[in-house]
Amino acid sequence: MGRLTNRILARIYTAFPHLAAAWGKKLAADGSPIPWTVPRTPLREAVVALVTTGGVHLLTQPPFDMTDKQGDASWREIPPEAPREQLTITHDYYDHRDAEADLNLVFPTQRLKEFVTAGALKELHSPAYSLMGHIDGDQLRRLRGETAPALARRLAAAGVDYALLVPA
Amino acid sequence: MGLVARAIEAAGIPTVAISIVREVTEKTPPPRALYLRFPFGHALGEAGNRNQQLHILSLAFQLLFDATEPGTIREAGLHWRRGSYPLPDWDALRALSPPG
Repeated sequence: MGRLTNRILARIYTAFPHLAAAWGKKLAADGSPIPWTVPRTPLREAVVALVTTGGVHLLTQPPFDMTDKQGDASWREIPPEAPREQLTITHDYYDHRDAEADLNLVFPTQRLKEFVTAGALKELHSPAYSLMGHIDGDQLRRLRGETAPALARRLAAAGVDYALLVPA
Repeated sequence: MGLVARAIEAAGIPTVAISIVREVTEKTPPPRALYLRFPFGHALGEAGNRNQQLHILSLAFQLLFDATEPGTIREAGLHWRRGSYPLPDWDALRALSPPG
């Protein structure tokens, strides 16, 4: 019943963006200093990592946990070349019917590969990373303290030049 | 989203994030955000609109090199369901480089 309610609410929030704005105004502000790294690589020479919070994952991977009201702060690694039929979305907090029809809306691997083909990007990093948004409470603390720093360390160790983040 | 972008940036990797709810982005600003007032689940626009998707990615990469201070939120100036988009200027994208 809870999941059904969440899905209905997700459709309403998707249809009426001003509701999302009102929700956003109630969130706590994070006033900590914002980090900054100066870009040093021309785009055409850059390896770019894609990070989505759209809840995308391989069918063979465990789905994001929809039973925890605070969300699921884990991530999934997805090869950018994974065929569409091997991918799905588990995320009850947004209406992903359009994204299911065209995954590029939240996971634009096909479009980014066109940048590579055109010589505007050197490479789309493999794997791409997928999380779910709508994280709160203990899961938010887990995201801040564990998941996000660990994901960042992986990207740094892999020598990725830039990261593109796409929300649900 | 902002939190993850900040962690990646802190690890030494410049980031650019797409934002669809400005009020959320303003609470935890990532280093660089391209803001589009699009519905949830539509950060790249409409399903099947390839040119729109390429255009939005182009704007995001442009911002990556244009932004000069952390917490930059740039209005993309796009309207939901605007009909047609040009193909990207690939020459300009191939020339995108850090300033200086």
